[in-house]
Amino acid sequence: MIKNNKKFEIEYVSSSGVYKTPFTLVVFFEFFISFTIILLINLWYINSLYYSVTGERFIDSWSGGDWWYWLLLPLNIYGNIFLFFIINLMISKIIYSILNVIHPPKEGLFDNGSKDWKFMHRRFWTVYFPIWLARALPLPWSDIFVYRVFGIKVGKNVVLYEGYIDPEFIEIGNDTMTSLHVCIFSHLIYHDRVFIKKVKIGKKCIISAHSIILPGTVIKDEAILGANSYTNINQILESNLIHTGLPAIRSFNPKSIEELKSKVKDNKIGKNQY
Amino acid sequence: MFQPASLKLDSPSPVDERLRNKYIIIYFMIITLSFLPVSFFEYFYIRYLWKEDTYWIFFLFIPLNIFINLYILQLGALSFSFLFLTIGKLIHYPKEGVFIRDINDKDYRYWNLRNMIKKWPLFIMATHPFPWLKNRFTLRFFGVKIGKRTICDNCWISSEFVEIQDNVIIGMGSTILSFGIEQDKFIIKKIIIKSDVLIGAKCVLLPGTRIEKKAKLGALSYTGYNSILKEDSIYIGNPAKLKEKGVKENF
Repeated sequence: MIKNNKKFEIEYVSSSGVYKTPFTLVVFFEFFISFTIILLINLWYINSLYYSVTGERFIDSWSGGDWWYWLLLPLNIYGNIFLFFIINLMISKIIYSILNVIHPPKEGLFDNGSKDWKFMHRRFWTVYFPIWLARALPLPWSDIFVYRVFGIKVGKNVVLYEGYIDPEFIEIGNDTMTSLHVCIFSHLIYHDRVFIKKVKIGKKCIISAHSIILPGTVIKDEAILGANSYTNINQILESNLIHTGLPAIRSFNPKSIEELKSKVKDNKIGKNQY
Repeated sequence: MFQPASLKLDSPSPVDERLRNKYIIIYFMIITLSFLPVSFFEYFYIRYLWKEDTYWIFFLFIPLNIFINLYILQLGALSFSFLFLTIGKLIHYPKEGVFIRDINDKDYRYWNLRNMIKKWPLFIMATHPFPWLKNRFTLRFFGVKIGKRTICDNCWISSEFVEIQDNVIIGMGSTILSFGIEQDKFIIKKIIIKSDVLIGAKCVLLPGTRIEKKAKLGALSYTGYNSILKEDSIYIGNPAKLKEKGVKENF
């Protein structure tokens, strides 16, 4: 915890990161269970395919070998991919909620190796596999669905899938756009500790490429964070302004399209061109 | 950890286009050879477990089978590329220095060849879903020294002439380059990162950088060629400049 009631400030920006612990085996557990369920569901299909190839059934009472089995094979493969994803998501959600009952997630500054630190790692590793799967699926934006399942408030019309985004303590409003390789950290490594605080992003914001958002940042509605810039911790970005810098201290008024057009008219090169 | 959809965390190993087509046969040879152990394993699996009345055993172990196959493929690719690398090293030993960026230059040619050989194992490492035997294990195979308890699975690390010691944290999306291309020159120089160093997100380390113990490099900054970051100090900026000496905790 923070001593002396002093205001917490940081001298440098590091990153969010997770160690491999024995609990990481949860990834294998999720994979194993969901794959077994998929196999059980598909056993009638495999039986039928085996019958059409060899003329024998390994489960006699089941039917098999009709021509439409071959016709439905592509649909079966495609459906299995999504079924695998959904079963995986359900299993990890169950593990996640059990973990949350044992030790509810908290905001604050935690030492390396403390109980909160351990449970943070456990939560991260349970969420790891579904998010990996969602981003590897033919529909990469399905990761918004995963984030919502794990309790992050993500609004409508949000682009998320091109960034490193922590799976908890984040709130994103409607119509916000995050760009390529954005980092949204609600967990920050600082010396030997981890700082956890909620990030709030309002409606209709734009977060430009390669920018980093630190824990405790509040971005108000319709604010714009410029490319290659980061926010400080607990920083508030006011609405209807463009913010840039390291950290984002400079802010400008965005110009309306009419204003930009009049500028083009005044410009000599512009006059010649149009 | 939650890498973007378009990012495969393949370490930086570009291959010159002029050499790519010439030596593509080596690349395909490694791929085909690495699938051999997988097919052997699969043969024995089906041979001994697909039996009448005990089909359930076969189906029960299929998930485990796929998991094992993935790692057999990775280890096979690693060992075959290791074999090719040692042959390459016998012909021409890799060394640091400034070379000419031309395919007739022996060092540049063999550097490209080595990258081509490493491409396939690095690709499998980067694409498979499980968090074990990732960057650290694979790069150790290629002779990069990486110490205990380091976080380095979300960054790009060059596969040679890098030394990283214990307890290092490398942030998300950082790049560690032990090679550089400057006009018609090609530079290889070793990067040394000592223990307890913290490198922020999206940093770039250029060849010859040496980071001493407990130094901190802030996010979104890069170091110059041959720059030395001193002990217990914070560096920030483009290129990284000393911000504070003697780190203290202000809480």
